[in-house]
Amino acid sequence: MSDVQVDQKSNEMPPKEGISIAHFLTVSDVVRSAKYYEKVFGARILTMGDGNAPPYLQLANIWMILNVGGGPTPDKPTVTLSVPDPNHINSFMNFRVADIQACYELWKSRGAEFITPPIPKYGEIRCYIRDPDGYIIEVGQSTDQVYG
Amino acid sequence: MSLQIEQKTYEMPPREGLTVTHFITVADIERSARYYEKVFGGRILSLGDTKGASGHIQIANTWLIVNVGGGPTPDKPTVTLSVPDPDHISSFMNFRVADIQACYELWKSRGAEFITPPIPKYGEIRCYIRDPDGYIIEVGQSTDLTNG
Repeated sequence: MSDVQVDQKSNEMPPKEGISIAHFLTVSDVVRSAKYYEKVFGARILTMGDGNAPPYLQLANIWMILNVGGGPTPDKPTVTLSVPDPNHINSFMNFRVADIQACYELWKSRGAEFITPPIPKYGEIRCYIRDPDGYIIEVGQSTDQVYG
Repeated sequence: MSLQIEQKTYEMPPREGLTVTHFITVADIERSARYYEKVFGGRILSLGDTKGASGHIQIANTWLIVNVGGGPTPDKPTVTLSVPDPDHISSFMNFRVADIQACYELWKSRGAEFITPPIPKYGEIRCYIRDPDGYIIEVGQSTDLTNG
């Protein structure tokens, strides 16, 4: 499907060895979400799925898997998957960028809904996007290099 | 730290373009960092600080950013971050692996709590881990290569 090199180690999807990490999003409309991540951020749609198999996208160094929600399955008998409550969030994608002002202008021109323009905070400049299901996406540019 | 994908280099923080990371709200930054280090071989880059900086862990093709929860900030004035309700999940990390049985044995021996052993489902073999905050981590091995 696609491959990634990390420290001379190859990450593929599906992997021939080791682990390749994807970010799973429960969405209300897989086609809408796939087109959104393609149009706004330049993600590559690897497959739109087939009804059982979900869409896979590649975005920068990760893969995204999109699927609709649903009740428990035998391998997670107490868990329900649903789109998020937009104001009570646990985990999200954090986009680290080199030039936040350029990303802000470009992604906004492609239809991204930013909650605010970029704001300086804690050694970085930061802002958030709402995706079509209400997920937040953090966008941040480091202004100190302590994590380099 | 850098990684290469199709002749493109991803860095943290990036010198150009975009690097995608996964943020999770946790109860204890150090506990989570140690867990992802011990169980999955993540590399701890930072344990954060008392001023609010996040912990950073490099793992496979991505980075995991962990921090404690909190109320609204100026750049997301309606959003509260908290650890998840373990039975109502929206987004999660999906670890695609080459050998799920080997990962199951190894990660279990290192303290991972699997909800079930690997179970065949829809062209893959799949199981879920609960991390220390109750997040699910999907672990899956493709058995049909139409996604691949």
